[in-house]
Amino acid sequence: MNGCENRIEAIERWLDGELSGAEAESLRVHVTACAECAETQRRLEKIQRTLQGALRAEAQQLEFQRFWRAVQIRINEKRPWHREALERLRSAFPASRAAWAVPAVIALLLAAISLESYLPFWRGAGRNSFATVESIDAYGRNVALLREYDTKTTVIWLYQDQEGENEAAEETAPSGPAF
Amino acid sequence: MERTDLELVQQCQAGEMSAFQELVSRYHQKVYMVILGLLRNREDALEVAQETFFRAYRKINGFQGGSSFYTWLYRIAVNLSIDTQRRQKRNPLDFRETMDGVFESQNEVARDPFADVHDKELREKLNRAINELTPEHKAVIVLRTIEGLSYKDIGEILGCSEGTVMSRLHYARKKLQDKLSAFL
Repeated sequence: MNGCENRIEAIERWLDGELSGAEAESLRVHVTACAECAETQRRLEKIQRTLQGALRAEAQQLEFQRFWRAVQIRINEKRPWHREALERLRSAFPASRAAWAVPAVIALLLAAISLESYLPFWRGAGRNSFATVESIDAYGRNVALLREYDTKTTVIWLYQDQEGENEAAEETAPSGPAF
Repeated sequence: MERTDLELVQQCQAGEMSAFQELVSRYHQKVYMVILGLLRNREDALEVAQETFFRAYRKINGFQGGSSFYTWLYRIAVNLSIDTQRRQKRNPLDFRETMDGVFESQNEVARDPFADVHDKELREKLNRAINELTPEHKAVIVLRTIEGLSYKDIGEILGCSEGTVMSRLHYARKKLQDKLSAFL
């Protein structure tokens, strides 16, 4: 090691065209003389080339006229009102703006399962109350509440769906090279 | 003389459908490529790409020109892709079947059979490694690598700072290099 680990980010910014002229030139000179940094550059460029090649080849097969006809059909199609409303809601409240939804849903659920304290006739069959809302913001964040009346305990779970991709990818990984 | 994106948008806002058709013609492959990079599934990518242009058409009257048209369009595409990815629990086998054609089509032009096998393995490993990234990390890699967008543009599209873009890119690249160390 030549102590160049801390140059990796700079090399990335250089390859991304994010360094100023003087910084870029200084780094270029260093990379030319440093085998470790030259190797970092080569690896980064190989990843970029491989990904670009695969996706560009795929996109070039996309036929415009067929694509345009499909877009036109969507434009001219009359969608049901509830679908329109849901789409508008989703685009108006992306994940970053929907953070308020989490405490709001918790408060609503707490209010719902606390009704028993104020309305005796509301008492249900069980001594415990459980409420759950899945995907409160369409981004996989879920809330579940459990109210246990004997001990007057309320448990709140806030959890996010797992992608489940890592495990699945491991399971489907081929056992060896495909020679 | 070729009309600029902004001119086409203004003509589209005035009700000229052919201007929107021209915008679709300019960007359909790029948008599809970005979405395919995120979703790794042809059918889903095509569906989301068509929906992206439909949403763009519906919202185009609200486009003020504060950002460039393509960052605005990519923002719609990336949000829809991330939304789709999180709502659909796709079986990874679907992805592998649909992406195999990409490897085969590239292999046809390879000359060295050993390089051919090596490159095919690299592409497969790369696809799998990208698939294991979070949607946010996938998005920065795809927007930077495929489209060559600046950190500023990527930040505008994803609604985060340039510093966040830089750190996500660094993290994603490190992950990819770790996973692909034997193939690079």
